[in-house]
Amino acid sequence: MTARLYNYDLDVDCYRVRLVASVVGLPLELVGLDVFPGHDHLTDAMLALNPARRLPVLVDGDLVLTQVPAILWHVASQAGAALVPAAPAAMLEWLSFAAGDLACATAARNASMLGQGDPVAPRAAARAALRRLDDHMVRAGIAGQGYVAGDTLTLADLALFPAFALSRDFGVDHDEFAALRLWARRVRTVPGFITMPGIPDYH
Amino acid sequence: MTPDIWLPLALTTAIETGTSAGTAIDGTEIAVWRDVAGRVHTWEDRCPHRGMKLSFGFVRGDHIACLYHGWQYDAAGQCRYIPAHPDLEVPKSICVKTWPVAEAGGMVWVWLGAGALVPAPDLPQAVALRSLYLDCPLSRVVALLEGGSPLGGAAQVDGAVARVGALVIGLQSVAPGRSALHITVAGAPTEAELTTLTHKAEALRRVAERVEAAA
Repeated sequence: MTARLYNYDLDVDCYRVRLVASVVGLPLELVGLDVFPGHDHLTDAMLALNPARRLPVLVDGDLVLTQVPAILWHVASQAGAALVPAAPAAMLEWLSFAAGDLACATAARNASMLGQGDPVAPRAAARAALRRLDDHMVRAGIAGQGYVAGDTLTLADLALFPAFALSRDFGVDHDEFAALRLWARRVRTVPGFITMPGIPDYH
Repeated sequence: MTPDIWLPLALTTAIETGTSAGTAIDGTEIAVWRDVAGRVHTWEDRCPHRGMKLSFGFVRGDHIACLYHGWQYDAAGQCRYIPAHPDLEVPKSICVKTWPVAEAGGMVWVWLGAGALVPAPDLPQAVALRSLYLDCPLSRVVALLEGGSPLGGAAQVDGAVARVGALVIGLQSVAPGRSALHITVAGAPTEAELTTLTHKAEALRRVAERVEAAA
C-alpha cells in the first residue's frame, strides 16, 4: 500500500519528504492541503492526525508519523534503506541538526515571507547554524569526504539542503559559505533530485 | 577610492567550472564566475535588466544567464540573447561592467582601480585551506594577525597579503563591518596539519568577533 503524505508544496519540511521519496524512488500518495491562507492543516480531521498543527504528516497503514527525521527514515527504509549508512551515528547527528538547530531557518523564512513574527533573531540563529555546517564541510573536504556524514549521500544531506538552498529568502546570502556551495552543487546532481518553489531548477 | 592593487576575493577551488558566486569588496558587489573553458570572470553583480544579482544565475558555455529572465551575457559582459525576444539583435548598450581578473597562489584576484594595470601578484602555488568570513572590519583582523593570533606568530602584511609561517592569506574587506581571509598553505601540508589549521582559523574568528563585539 502506498504511504500517504499530507503535503503543502510551499512547506520546506514537506519538500524534504518529497525530495527523499524521489531520490529513493518511493511513490507517495500526495494529499494537497492549502496551509496558507487556507489553514487546511487546522481542520478537526487534520488535528486528530497531528495536534502539533503542522505538516508534514505521513500515514502508512496504522503508522502515523509527524516528526521529519522519522518520516525521512521510514520513507528511505521502505526503499531498501538507501541513504542510511551501516554506521548511522554521524548521519543522525546531522539529521538532528537539520530538525533542531536549523529549524530556525524555517522560522526565519516564514517571518520574512509570510510576516509570521520577527525575522531578526531566527535569521541570526540560522546564519550561525549554516556557519557551523560550513565549518564542518571545510573539514570534510580536507578529509576527502563530499557529504556531511562521509563519502556518500545520506538522509542528512537531503534534510539539510533545503535550509541552505532557501536561505536567500530570509536574507542570508551564500557568499560566505564556499564549502556549502560546493556541497549543494553535489547534492543537486543526485539522480531523482527535485526542487520546490524558491529553489531554481537549472535546465 | 579604490587602491590600484590586486585584491583577493575567493579561492580558485571555490569557483568550479560552470559556476558563479557572489561577494563584495568594500560594498561593491561582484559576481565571480568560471566559464566552461575554465576562464574566471569578475563582473558587477547586477543584471542591467531588473538589477537581479548575476551571481544567482547559471553558466551556459561561455555565457552567464540571469536567473530572472534568462538574459545571456558573453565573456566580455555584452548581452547576446534575450529569451522573450529571441529574434532581437541585442543593442550594444546592454552590457555589464567587468573588471580585470587574475588567478595566482590559489586565489582569484580582481583589479578595481582606475590606474594602470600592474602584473598579477607573483605567488607560488599553494594548497587552499578555506575562505573565512568574519563579522569585523579587516583592520581589526589585520591588527590581530600582526600582533600574533591563533594562526601563529606575528604576520607580515604586504598590501592585501599576510604571511605567517607557511600560511599565505589573502585579505578582503567585504563591507564596513565584514571581512574575509582566503587562507592558503605553502608546501605540502598533511591532512592532519590542514585539519589543525581549520580549528585555528575558527579560533581566530572567535577572537576577532569577540573583540569586535566588545568594542
